Amino acid sequence: MKFSIQRFNPETDARPYMQDYELADDRLRDDMMLLDALLLLKAQDESLSFRRSCGEGVCGSDGMNINGRNGLACITPLARLARPVVLRPLPGLPVIRDLVVDMAPFYRQYRDIEPYLINGEPVPEVERLQSPAQRAELDGLYECILCACCTTFCPSFWWNPDRFLGPAALLQAWRFLADNRDLATERRLDHLEGPYRLFRCHSIMNCVEVCPKGLNPTRAIGRIKELMLKQSL
Amino acid sequence: MSRKPSGLRAWLWQRLTAVYLALFLVTTAAALWLHPVTGFADWQARLAGPWTGAAAGLFGLALALHAWVGMRDVILDYVHRLWLRVLLLAAVAAVLAGSLFWMLAALLPAGLTGGS
Repeated sequence: MKFSIQRFNPETDARPYMQDYELADDRLRDDMMLLDALLLLKAQDESLSFRRSCGEGVCGSDGMNINGRNGLACITPLARLARPVVLRPLPGLPVIRDLVVDMAPFYRQYRDIEPYLINGEPVPEVERLQSPAQRAELDGLYECILCACCTTFCPSFWWNPDRFLGPAALLQAWRFLADNRDLATERRLDHLEGPYRLFRCHSIMNCVEVCPKGLNPTRAIGRIKELMLKQSL
Repeated sequence: MSRKPSGLRAWLWQRLTAVYLALFLVTTAAALWLHPVTGFADWQARLAGPWTGAAAGLFGLALALHAWVGMRDVILDYVHRLWLRVLLLAAVAAVLAGSLFWMLAALLPAGLTGGS
């Protein structure tokens, strides 16, 4: 099985280049994931760099561009991929080495939406309880693993990476706006207003297309706009 | 809530104008299908009516607003040099305002002359 992988070592290379690899068919199994193949390739060539950790689609470390679409290598079945398998780093982020990108801009956007409950009321003696319906509002939001597959596949992020917050951060913005225990609605909405942070989203829906957890950031962004409209009337 | 300009407002205007444009186009298409236009004088007579003239004028205004928000989005997305962005935004504004005035200038005489 053939692979074409983008390589880049900033200490020795002026620009990225594609390198071909091959795995013998007798080393492949039907149930293999792409990450398994990458680990075999790494055994062939120790200089090949990529991130991985849990191997189960939970940690979000091994996000990469697989045959033109972002995804997690650990939950991408090898048998379903067209050959040669073309692997590149997540687009739109600075490349540190090979398939490893600098996630700092992505985390900066995440920090920007204040991803924690803001509640100025006195701390109660017991937990702040939610009804089942209030808790259900968070379904489809809290499951995000911050793998950056959505944000780095969003054209609006490519065009304005330093000003548009991107689908992952905006999904989390709605996660806290939708939480009845959070009391900073006005502050959060005021922060998102303006032409860039939220409104660069044009509902292209690449984020929905590639989210490995099946989440829908476009819907969350729409809910933020609806809430903003209601609050301003 | 304090609202800075041009995020929510532009988004809202784009949607409101889209609804009006869709309603106007469907209604106009149905009207033209049921009562085909026979010539220039017929056009003039139809647009001379206060309701049709106002609806057509509002269509021009909605189209200009809708196009402004759309073109502004394209320019904000793709053009990052400030001077070029300002230049293009000014050019778009001039073209849209000019087109709108041209349309209104064509509609008003039809209304004033009562289609005669």
